[in-house]
Amino acid sequence: MKALIEADGIVEQVLNVVAPGQPVSRRRVLKLCGATIAGMASWHFFGMGGGISAPLIITEQAGGLVVADPTRCVGCRRCELACTEFNDGKSSPGTARIKVRRNLNFGPAGLYTGQCTDGNWGSGLIVQDFCKQCPHPVPCADACPNAAIEVKPPVNARVVNPDRCTGCKVCLKACPWEMMSFDPETNKATKCFLCEGKPKCVEACPAEALTYVSWVDLTGKVPSRTTPVSNRSVACIDCHK
Amino acid sequence: MGKMPQYGGWAGKVLRVDLSTGRITTEDTVEKYKDYIGGTGLGYKVLWDEVAPETRAFDPENKIVFATGPLAGTSAPCNGRTAITTLWPTCWPKHLVGSGHMGGHFAAELKYAGFDGVIVEGRADHPVWLAIADGKVEIRDARRLWGQGIRRTTLEISRQMGPEAVVAAIGQAGENMVPMSVIINSVSHSGAGGAVMGSKNLKAIGVRGTGSIRIAGNREEWEKAVRYHLSLIGANNQIVVPSSPQPWAEHYNPGSRWVASRGRTWGAANPPIETGSCEPQNLNRIAYRTNNAAFFLGEQAWRYTVRGNGCTGCPIRCHTMIKVPTVASKYGIPEIGQSTCVRMIFGKWFFKSFPDGPLGETSIEAAMVGMHLADDLGLWDNYGQLQRDFQKCYSEGIFQSKVGEKEFRRYSWDKFEKGDPAFLFELLPRIAGKDGELASALGLGTGFMLEGWGISEEAWKSDRTLQYWKLGHPKHHSNEDAGQCGVIINTQYNRDAQCHSHTNFTRNGLPLEIQKRLAADLWGSDAAVDAAGDFTPMNVYKAKMAKWALLRKELHDSISLCNWMGPWSSSPLKERGYKGDDTLESLLYSLVTGDRKSPRELDEVAERIFVLHRALTIRGMGTREMRAKHDTIPDWVYGDDKDRIPFTKGTIQMDKDDIRKAMQMFYEEAGWDKETGVPTGATYRRLGLSDVEEKLAKKRLTA
Ligand code: SF4
Ligand code: SF4
Ligand code: SF4
Repeated sequence: MKALIEADGIVEQVLNVVAPGQPVSRRRVLKLCGATIAGMASWHFFGMGGGISAPLIITEQAGGLVVADPTRCVGCRRCELACTEFNDGKSSPGTARIKVRRNLNFGPAGLYTGQCTDGNWGSGLIVQDFCKQCPHPVPCADACPNAAIEVKPPVNARVVNPDRCTGCKVCLKACPWEMMSFDPETNKATKCFLCEGKPKCVEACPAEALTYVSWVDLTGKVPSRTTPVSNRSVACIDCHK
Repeated sequence: MGKMPQYGGWAGKVLRVDLSTGRITTEDTVEKYKDYIGGTGLGYKVLWDEVAPETRAFDPENKIVFATGPLAGTSAPCNGRTAITTLWPTCWPKHLVGSGHMGGHFAAELKYAGFDGVIVEGRADHPVWLAIADGKVEIRDARRLWGQGIRRTTLEISRQMGPEAVVAAIGQAGENMVPMSVIINSVSHSGAGGAVMGSKNLKAIGVRGTGSIRIAGNREEWEKAVRYHLSLIGANNQIVVPSSPQPWAEHYNPGSRWVASRGRTWGAANPPIETGSCEPQNLNRIAYRTNNAAFFLGEQAWRYTVRGNGCTGCPIRCHTMIKVPTVASKYGIPEIGQSTCVRMIFGKWFFKSFPDGPLGETSIEAAMVGMHLADDLGLWDNYGQLQRDFQKCYSEGIFQSKVGEKEFRRYSWDKFEKGDPAFLFELLPRIAGKDGELASALGLGTGFMLEGWGISEEAWKSDRTLQYWKLGHPKHHSNEDAGQCGVIINTQYNRDAQCHSHTNFTRNGLPLEIQKRLAADLWGSDAAVDAAGDFTPMNVYKAKMAKWALLRKELHDSISLCNWMGPWSSSPLKERGYKGDDTLESLLYSLVTGDRKSPRELDEVAERIFVLHRALTIRGMGTREMRAKHDTIPDWVYGDDKDRIPFTKGTIQMDKDDIRKAMQMFYEEAGWDKETGVPTGATYRRLGLSDVEEKLAKKRLTA
């Protein structure tokens, strides 16, 4: 984080917009990451961004990434269970931050695509969906009205800060890969936080189908599952889950 | 948010659906069933309390109970099974209690939906299916689904409930109340009892849940326990040595299902994946150890292997998925199939021979056709008895004499003779459709088929090749695997004994010296085990092992651990001297529920469950002469093809007097009366079953 501040004068400008005149401590920057993104959005809105040339990279890249090999996946869902049991103390594929269950039976394209599906009832291919730990712009964090999705050391995963999360579910509709989870028991969103650098899902996979690698940008390489909703339709999402 | 439930593990509610009235109610699992944990324990309890002994399987008064236990849906390895308990429609001459054990993803999904079990009672007046989604339950019209196979039924229901739904459905066989029918979920995971669902006009149960199961114990401890369990796991059937020499292995055994090796490849994966040497310490390669297609269909199945598949949370993946493109064009069936064990060879086993040999391409095609038809029509094989009965009836001219010329000629016997898999398209749909005398008789199950055709059961009991045991069902891991212990186990159930506790030890692949060392620890003396086919006379340690095996079976079927894998009484770890851990069940149960139970306490619960099964059988038969009338042993056990005598090397033949002694010793270990084989009053009382004893005493069914 420090390196980033020192390296780029633009960041200081941005931070000034968000918190004018305030000294930027290390702790403060951490807390501001989400807010920074939100602040920028309004800044552009008011036509104030004209003088600054793109790209505006103000979010630190993640240090790691869980990647998945569908051809090795045996559909056991041990990854989903490890994610929620060893992190949250409950077996809860519905809130797991790696997602196999939804593709297990019929693959990512689902049941309305005709005869040829993937998954157990089709070709046998099980596609595991995982969080891309997006570079800026981070769609989930970007959308959060409460700046609750933050960049958190040690691996700079994009993490939900439960103290800030109000359970509005906006982020759920913002992720192009539908990788946000919502836990009805805590009434908070949750997402992959890379288990602070020791991914439980990777440890749990009995088929070596998951690997923890240095971060690479996969956002342009993995087809998205959905088109994120615009701000205007955000209000509709409570009903249209 | 509601208050924190007292226990973890259990979802908390059992669903009760009366199809006659449409009434849907729930009851508290812990309050009502905790003493029986779940699974078969819960099923037996419902049948004991609520189903009168004179009830027949297809009466609306019969109930069918789908029940899981506290470990289902967690990451405790091998937790995928749902126990299906009901009056068993193939149990001859009277329908007695039985249970099927269905793997797949149903158990987990049911719990995420909020239920530990579903009790189905009554009979709907038209076909229905049951939709269970996050605590919401609806009885829906299934008239449009009636007549459809399991695949289409699953797809239609998934379109309504969403792709994550798990659907347990019956096919045409179950609808037509063919006793030899199954319920299937997740493509290939079957549990018998399909006809009972059919008799209730219940086509399917669809479940979908987004809820969670709380782990009561400390998170780190739970994680450690799960890793520890994984470290002790072998391959399918808990075989702990590889089938071929491996760089890491001190021992190997060609009969092992641990078939992974350098050079052995999932050939139909794209791109192919080498299984490799799979060191036991590498917990990230457990899924490559087992390939039951290669084990059951022969070496050439490797090139058709797509991957392993199986139940929720199980690293073993015993349902191997294979892709055989030729079957799509030749037979019009999907080119991908998956299954395990006898259901993988369902189609193959009907044939005497194939044009290209027993392990040729045609045999694999026959297996593919069989898997497809059996899992879509929902047919049961009765552990291969269906196929053995078929071959016997054909080769001995029984079909011809019983069904008449005209019907006999409806079948292309030349195709059968030639080993042409297309023959299965004539036979299997007719069994499912009760189409004609031949097919209908096969669909009844062995006991009722023989009765219908006026053939004595003795004729079946004396033919060793048939492996028929009693009450309409065959042996299941008997003397061939564990001598007297196997025999005792096979006397206890009202279907084929679904017990693997003993065979998962005696067939673990380790040399006898090591097995004996482990046996001494487990059952008090190394005399508990012999080498298969080199048996010694009965001793009390074998009786102890038999009792242990039976109790662990019931324990597994109640807490939701797979008894096809457990108990983990040995391990692949040389550094542990291949020791497993007999206390794993108690560790996992205590951590997940928060209800601390020592191994001994948990064994006692298992014994309560097992004795309740015994009581149900006694009440159902209406006799206390269990030893003479129920715990019978077929004659073939006492014979040998080559006239070798018992207790000489090479024969699995048992000795009559010795087996008499074996039963006696087992009854004594169990606390049952030696003459009759019924539990003594003291045993009922010790297990908290005084009320059961009282009810049986009123009918003079106690010792
Ligand atoms: S949850 Fe989605 S948007 Fe957010 S970082 Fe992960 S992949 Fe990107
Ligand atoms: S890295 Fe951790 S948080 Fe992310 S999916 Fe895997 S187990 Fe879950
Ligand atoms: S643990 Fe591995 S094999 Fe199992 S579902 Fe997850 S990615 Fe697939």
